[in-house]
Order: sequence, then structure tokens, then C-alpha cells
Amino acid sequence: MIKSHPSEAILYQYASGDLSASMTLVVGTHIDMCPICKRTVCEIEEDLCNKHLDSLVETICAPSKGAMSKTQCDQMLEAIFNSQAKPAAQREDLISLEGRRFNLPTTLAHNAHRIGEWTHLVGKLWRAPVDLSDDGQTNLIYMEPGAQVPEHTHKGQEATLVIDGVFNDEHDAYYDGDFILLDADRKHTPRTATEDCLTLATLDAPLFFTSGISRLLNPFSSLFFR
Amino acid sequence: MQTVTSHTSQRGVMTTSQQDTAEKAAQLLAQIAETRSRQAFSELFSHFAPKLQAYGTRQFGNEQTAMDLVQETMTNVWHKAHLFKADKGSPSTWIFTIARNIRFDLLRKNKKRKDDISADELWPILAEQNDNLDDDYALDQDILLQEISHYYGQLPDAQRIVVEKIYVEGKSQQEVSDSLGIPLGTVKSRTRLALKKLKELIVEHD
Ligand SMILES: [Zn+2]
Repeated sequence: MIKSHPSEAILYQYASGDLSASMTLVVGTHIDMCPICKRTVCEIEEDLCNKHLDSLVETICAPSKGAMSKTQCDQMLEAIFNSQAKPAAQREDLISLEGRRFNLPTTLAHNAHRIGEWTHLVGKLWRAPVDLSDDGQTNLIYMEPGAQVPEHTHKGQEATLVIDGVFNDEHDAYYDGDFILLDADRKHTPRTATEDCLTLATLDAPLFFTSGISRLLNPFSSLFFR
Repeated sequence: MQTVTSHTSQRGVMTTSQQDTAEKAAQLLAQIAETRSRQAFSELFSHFAPKLQAYGTRQFGNEQTAMDLVQETMTNVWHKAHLFKADKGSPSTWIFTIARNIRFDLLRKNKKRKDDISADELWPILAEQNDNLDDDYALDQDILLQEISHYYGQLPDAQRIVVEKIYVEGKSQQEVSDSLGIPLGTVKSRTRLALKKLKELIVEHD
């Protein structure tokens, strides 16, 4: 049972197409896993359609100025009938790491070709970048059992989605499908216990490590979660 | 009292006419999908193009970009009409989501980055195969590939075949279900049983 969802404001921006590419990916992947948010988004899309398209029912009979002429319509129809269908989207449903294999939710599966090589970070942490040619930094993060990310704060927002497994921080425990949004300045220390955890995380600014020796990691923080 | 009644009935008429429009549009989409009817498409076009144009103009404040949005949205409608599912929502909502995606791409176009992400990847609404049948995203249950190969020969045939296809040939559970012609649920339960058995075997031999 998913207990941590994106806010309705985020779902609204998702449905309107106003989130960044990286945030759209993380929210969309949550929606693949979450029937509740899927239903909410369908309702929001209906509302948006009402607002943007259907509300024009009355004005269609009386063409406004700037409306398409008959010639323009015919030309466009001709172009459409002569167009080629786009090739089918490519998707990859599985990723593997160290003998572990994961099934990807639909949205992530359509971006599998953007997932880079896995690299082993400090301790029991692995990272594979997701290249969205976006300003944010998006990664798959894999935590082996007993892994711990050094305590850190963010300059910007960090969104994390649990794809599989469970991790804890000082606030709560997060399971498959949970979506966590942390604002700047909120400290947290993600860690796993007996289970491992695969997450999708996006960050719109570098991490800042705040505790003890891991402060030494700060110069490398952009390397760490890029 | 009278005002309330007339207000209600007016709303009733509105809803009915909207419903009629939706039904009509759904019929046209079905016709386009089945017979590639240009006639049906032209009718759908004359209904939606002005709405899309108005949406585009408000979004971009630019006539030409608005026209691009109309053309690209309706091009997708022409080629992908078979992907509209009447039980999942209204035709206009479906067309709106296509336009939303085109808008996203048009807004990013000026960034001119090679291999830029497209809205079709982020909202795969026009993908041919889009059903997410599997709600379990981990397949291995802590068992390493190498370990499995030592022991899977000892499984009952039905389970071994499923495990072989998934762990040796690298197929998804859905693909195994398709290729063996057995339900996905059966594949899942056989996998689960096989993994349980494998765990026992591995523990025994450790
Ligand atoms: Zn949700």
C-alpha cells in the first residue's frame, strides 16, 4: 500500500505538462505504480480538457478572427494524409545489476535507453545516471542491504521514488511506489536494513553533506549523485 | 423555483449535447482506425482543429506555433486512432493529452539539444503496448544468477522451463506467459514456487 504520494498541485502540473522532464519522469513512474494517483490524473486531464478544448463549444459556430480558412484546412489535411506514422516507441522492461534484475514500470521502461552504466559508489551504494538532457540530475540509486547515504541537505528539491524494496530515513520507512519530496535544508540519512532498495531520484541542485567525515565528500557531491 | 428548474434543464441539455459529441467523436475515431476513412477524419478535424488552434494560440501567443500544434496533434490522431480506448476516457480528453505532449515538445524545441527527451517518452500514451501488467518490480528475490544455474535442473519441469526462460534467456514474465500460452498469474506462481525451492536447495547445500 503506497502511503506517500505527490501533492495534487504536482499532479496538476504533471497533467498540464508544466513539470521539468526529470520530475515528469519520476511522477509518471509513480503514477504507473499507483492506481489512486492514476485516477486523480485522469480527472485532472478531463478538467484541463474542459478548460482548454471543450469550453469552445459555443464559439465554434461563429468563427473568430484568425480562425483557419478553408484553404488552410485543406492544405493541412493533405499534409496529414501524406505523412508517415512515427516509428513505435522503444522500450526495455528489465534492468540488471549484480545478478539482481528489476522490472521497469512503463514510463521508466520507455526511458531505459537513457540509463547509463552502473557505477559502484562508496559503501553499498550503486548509481546509474538517467540522461534526460535536462537541468536536473536524475539517477537510479541501488542500496544493498545495510547501506547508508551520508547525512546531507540539498540546495534544491530532491524527489525520490521507491521502485522496489524499502529504505528508511529519520522521518519514516518507504516502500514500493512511495514518492518522497524533500525541500532544501531538510536533513536526512537514507539507509537500508535487511532488504535492498532500488530508487529513482532527481535533484535540481547538488547535495551538501553535513555530518563528520562525509563533509569531506562535499567537493565530490556533484560526482556522487550526478 | 422556476429559475432552478430551467437552470437544471439547461445543464441537462448541455450535458446531453456534450455526450452526443463524445459519442460521435468516438465513432469517427473507430471508423478512422478500421477503414482509414478520410471522410471521417475530415469531420473530426473540423470539430477539433479550431479548439486546438485556440489552445495553441493561448499557450504560445504565436499563430504559426499554434498551427504547428494543430497539425502535429491531428497527425497523431490520424495515425494512432486505433489506440483510443473508449472505456478509458472521452475522445476530447485523449486528443487533449496528445496536444499537451506536442506542446511540451514545441516548448523545448528551441533548446536544440541533440537526443533531447520527447514527450512520448515521458507520457507514453501513444505506445502500442502500454499495459502495466506486472506489479512486482523485483524478479530475483536475492538469488544470484550464478547460483540459480547450479540448482534449477532439480526443479519440476513446469517450474524449470519458466525459470530458464526468465533467468537464462532473459525474458520478462509477460513474454514467458505469451510464448508458453499460459496465464501471467501461472508464470508468477511458478516463478515464486521455483525460487522458494531454489532457496531451500541453496541453503541445504551451503
Ligand atoms: Zn500516488
